[in-house]
Amino acid sequence: MSKLLPTQEIGSLAKPRWRIKGYRGKPLSKEDMAEAIDWGRKLEIPDLKELVKLLNERDSPSKRRGILEWSAIYAIRFFKAAGLDVFFDGEQWRSEMYEHVIRQTAGFNSLGYIKSFDYRYFNKAACINKPQYTNSFYLDEFLFTKENTEKEIKVPFTGPYTLVDWTFNEYYEKKLSHKIMDFKQRKFEAKKNFLFDLIKEVIRPEIKKLVDSGAKWIQIDEPAATTNPTDEEMRLFVECFNETVKDFNCTFSLHNCYSNYEILAKYACDLRNCSQLALEFANRDSRQAKVGNERAGYKEIELFEEYGFRGDYGLGVVDVHTNFIEPPKLVRNRILHVAKMIGDPSRIYVSPDCGLRTRFWEISLRKLKNMVSGAELARNAVK
Amino acid sequence: MIGCYVTGIFPRLTELIECTRIYARGRINASDLEKAFEDATTKIVNAQVSAEFSYVTDGMLRWQDMLRPFIKGLGGVKMGSLARWFNNNVFYRKPIIVDTIRRNKSIFKEATYIGYLPKNFRWKAILPAPYTFAQLSENQFYKDKTELMFEYAEILKEEIKSLTQLGFKYVQLSDPALVYEPIATSLSRTELDYVSEALRVAVEGTSIKTCVQTFFGDFCQILPEAIDFPVDHLGIDLYATDFEKLKEYSFEKGVAFGLVDSRNSLVEEPDELVTVTKEIVESIYPSKMGEVFVCPNCDLEFLPWERAHEKMKIIRSVTKRLREEFS
Repeated sequence: MSKLLPTQEIGSLAKPRWRIKGYRGKPLSKEDMAEAIDWGRKLEIPDLKELVKLLNERDSPSKRRGILEWSAIYAIRFFKAAGLDVFFDGEQWRSEMYEHVIRQTAGFNSLGYIKSFDYRYFNKAACINKPQYTNSFYLDEFLFTKENTEKEIKVPFTGPYTLVDWTFNEYYEKKLSHKIMDFKQRKFEAKKNFLFDLIKEVIRPEIKKLVDSGAKWIQIDEPAATTNPTDEEMRLFVECFNETVKDFNCTFSLHNCYSNYEILAKYACDLRNCSQLALEFANRDSRQAKVGNERAGYKEIELFEEYGFRGDYGLGVVDVHTNFIEPPKLVRNRILHVAKMIGDPSRIYVSPDCGLRTRFWEISLRKLKNMVSGAELARNAVK
Repeated sequence: MIGCYVTGIFPRLTELIECTRIYARGRINASDLEKAFEDATTKIVNAQVSAEFSYVTDGMLRWQDMLRPFIKGLGGVKMGSLARWFNNNVFYRKPIIVDTIRRNKSIFKEATYIGYLPKNFRWKAILPAPYTFAQLSENQFYKDKTELMFEYAEILKEEIKSLTQLGFKYVQLSDPALVYEPIATSLSRTELDYVSEALRVAVEGTSIKTCVQTFFGDFCQILPEAIDFPVDHLGIDLYATDFEKLKEYSFEKGVAFGLVDSRNSLVEEPDELVTVTKEIVESIYPSKMGEVFVCPNCDLEFLPWERAHEKMKIIRSVTKRLREEFS
């Protein structure tokens, strides 16, 4: 991008209540309707009466589709109002990054909830057959976003390594049960077979559809990238990324957060066709707007540099897990600190740590606006 | 003797999951939630009894994670941020050690539904081992993690005394950090001696059976030193351990074989598990066979309850078959 220190978001935005309830066919309260209208006015969305009419309709496939479209329009306007340079639709069409793909791909069977921590759970599926591409899971939302913004679009795409890591591998382990006697070796071979089948049968066909339809930039989301931090597994992760993106005429980037960056840094320069690493740092950093060499949250950038990564950084300067509104000066100082470390501000895309789906819209908007202002301050400082 | 048991926290049953979720949203009160925990505990205990397990646990449903009761129950420990539980998509709260660790009451007793354990069965307790506790904690107080490990071993000693008095006949010390590759590869032989010594402190003078249960990593990494650990049984995760290397060693003490995979929903074929166990047992016990246990390779909580229940039945069937084979 020609603009210095462009700003971007990472993916998800919270879903409004009218989107969640309306899509499920549940009745909306007065407050839910008021939320739709208030935000519609704030974001200067035209034809709000049409949305109200739709929300009052009986549940039907066309109503559900309409709600997804309206919700995406809200998110697109939201990011535009925040002043971002690169964005998508807040993932308003997706139930969740994992389930959205698994539910629309043949070969998986949802087994129910597994504890993530305390009273939080995630829905885990088993792979019970060779994965098969049945229908596109990102194309419609991409085409809709493309129609509704002139800004640069980055499509968030759940990566195959994460999909496999979060799924029970029944099919491939069973297939190898009489071929490899050692359980450990069998597990690893089965994982590889699952990964590369998924990439070939499902992931690449979807990427091809997106690219053929005009997608110029796809962000591969791999929160599980460093879950298995052994050399063998990290090499597998790299191979998997490279296989996913190879030979497409498109820009690719990688998003990874709340992970072990000491490990990721060692392997980052082996990622081919990976223009940007979008990483979470604000969460690790102090909130003081101090300058100098004291930005502890960003120290691991040094490792990426030492290991030879020369691509761009999607620099997380906004913590998505707190309601603290980062002042523009803090954002500026974080950017300038890293610009000095890497000696080249043109390699920085200013970003939140991750998607903002856990924050209320009021908070997210204030955070993003300050991020944009902070980027402007940094731009003026380096000019 | 060939027995069987579980090695960790059970999955929550569907009804309990629903109750915890609505409790978190403020739609039921603490006593309704407690009732749901008790009902689920009854079902889990009954399932172990039906599966004829040699030792029975309460299912550990109250344990939000393996370390949480110690964060809540120990003086000198604060609750830290969420951290990944080894290489799983599951998280635990890091204990932060800010002062001398102190035990003012029985931590295990507080966290366990002792009243729900069946009277005519032998009871098993599961606690974090010294090395794993020290490795997973953030130490802001002691000179180093070794000192913390020994201090915690003293706490464990008191815990084991207390649970022995309560009537428990078996204590498992869970030690995944000892074999988890990213940590274990840097473990020196001297450190393994310290690990052994800390275990000695913890189990010294106890009259009940003791076990160090390892998982998420290759047991061969700590061989041959682990053979001399001062416990009765050694637990091995067979889904993370190289069979052929394991077979090169000779054991005298008992072994708990993590034969059923808690991290995959695929239900194992008993025939294969029997064959594998026979081969390993015949290799590692060249003269006299030690006590052997069939168990899951780690906590069953990584599975949905229905699948965990099916796997308990597999454990039962494999144990029976092995008893016939070795009778």
